[in-house]
Amino acid sequence: MPRRVAIIGVGATVPRPVTPELSYRELIHEAAVRAYEEAGVEPREIGTFMPCTEDFYEGISISDEYSNDQLGAVLKPVHTIGGDGIHGIATAYMQIATGLFDTAVVEAHSKASNVLTPHHIMNYAMDPVLNRPLGENPLYVAGLEMSRFMHESGATSEECAWVVVKNRRNALSNPNGAFGAKVTVHDVLSGPAAFCPLGALEMAPPSDAAFVVVLAAEDRLPARAASPVWIRGVGWSNDSPTLETRSWARALYAEAAAQRAYRMAGIRNPARDIDCFEIDDTFSYKELQHLEALGICDRGEAGKRTARGETEIDGATPVNASGGSLGCGHMLDATGLFRTVECVRQLRGEAGQVQVKDAKTALAFGWRGVPTTSGACVVLGA
Amino acid sequence: MGLIQKSSSNQELRHYRGNIPVGNLYTAGIAGDRFFVDLRDKGRLLGTRCPSCERTFVPARHFCEECFTRLEEYVPVPSSGTVHSLTAAHVDLDGKPLDPPHVLAFITFEGCAGGLVHRLGGAPGQSFRIGDRVEMVLKDRKKRTGGINDIEHFRPAKGSRR
Ligand SMILES: [Zn+2]
Repeated sequence: MPRRVAIIGVGATVPRPVTPELSYRELIHEAAVRAYEEAGVEPREIGTFMPCTEDFYEGISISDEYSNDQLGAVLKPVHTIGGDGIHGIATAYMQIATGLFDTAVVEAHSKASNVLTPHHIMNYAMDPVLNRPLGENPLYVAGLEMSRFMHESGATSEECAWVVVKNRRNALSNPNGAFGAKVTVHDVLSGPAAFCPLGALEMAPPSDAAFVVVLAAEDRLPARAASPVWIRGVGWSNDSPTLETRSWARALYAEAAAQRAYRMAGIRNPARDIDCFEIDDTFSYKELQHLEALGICDRGEAGKRTARGETEIDGATPVNASGGSLGCGHMLDATGLFRTVECVRQLRGEAGQVQVKDAKTALAFGWRGVPTTSGACVVLGA
Repeated sequence: MGLIQKSSSNQELRHYRGNIPVGNLYTAGIAGDRFFVDLRDKGRLLGTRCPSCERTFVPARHFCEECFTRLEEYVPVPSSGTVHSLTAAHVDLDGKPLDPPHVLAFITFEGCAGGLVHRLGGAPGQSFRIGDRVEMVLKDRKKRTGGINDIEHFRPAKGSRR
């Protein structure tokens, strides 16, 4: 049996649309200071570090070289992940479970407000021969996906808009909810057009934040650490990256990632066995598509159940009680770690007004955004 | 190890701009080269057939992502297809509004795996739906360069009335 691994401390900055008073490294430093305080450790006591960073969004070549000092990781083993924060959690889990290290730190951040040309960066991730020469805004990929998802699942525009209504309303009650608002289905559907059927109000706006998570082996929990939240399962997967052969209707990457995590965690029926869900909602339809891919709703049911209120904080399957990305902002590759931290708060009973009653098991799922087909999933237990 | 004191004075905040010219070359590869040369010179779409999966990939590619077989059998495929999904882009690459919007689609070809992302066009005000039959419209032979924009757009297929 591999060693059990727990999250023993989390540190975060409050997500905000801009953070002009801090450099990105100071932003990370602030989250790190908070995380080490909770975990009751000094960085020099940590075994291994997993920063998650991507050069173009950082605006720095070889940005992984600039990750260690603000974490207190100078002359320490650093294993940078070019992926979502949950990929970082999975890597930290493996390095501890195998016995290579006793403690690990995962870091991910977004200084999206520093990025002046986000669509050009995204376009540079498109196939340079087949797709990029069309010269379009690459977010059309989301529009194509939404059309086909709605076509095959039967989800309606109103049902997609309900996701926005719910998540932005939840964010009103969350101190981390930078984009909390009371909006109606009509407001969402009559907002500006973007990539039809996807409307501008159905797209998560960017925000800045940093997250640091400290993990430790069960047999090496620091005496002063916060109450442990256990990693019960991790899984990650990618569909074909090419636009030509990927699935347009289904999030197959999420299906495969979740199956792995469920097998590891012994989850048979996620809707019954898991109490709260923080899952990717970069775009309104994504929450519905991911709910079906993660096996939380049957195919074709996610929209109906959302419109009936079953994914509200006090519903049968609370989804994005935090407000998700639509309510708190999209944080580039820190988005998955944001969701993980929100789950940790739920399981500790520290989620305040957005607390899900008796949350004992939680799931965080991250997607790396357009044009990727990259998903990562973690199941956490109190 | 305390939290740093933050500045709250706008006057004191500084920022510095940075940018680099990013330039790259991309080779189309073995299968890509045959696909684009055929498109330019013969005005047709080329696929590759996987003998073990018995599937034909469009556009032609060098390997099968299902069974990992190398694909060496090149076959022309019909240049009319079906709208698998579509979107109207109201925002351009710089974030500026597009009026009229650009209609983009993923088009599949009968009996083939894969497909093409491209523009939909036709008469002004033409509307499209998933399932519509469309046909390829090429640029004039002289203007083709061996790239994806040798295809002008896809338009409603002749005789396909809804
Ligand atoms: Zn094959």
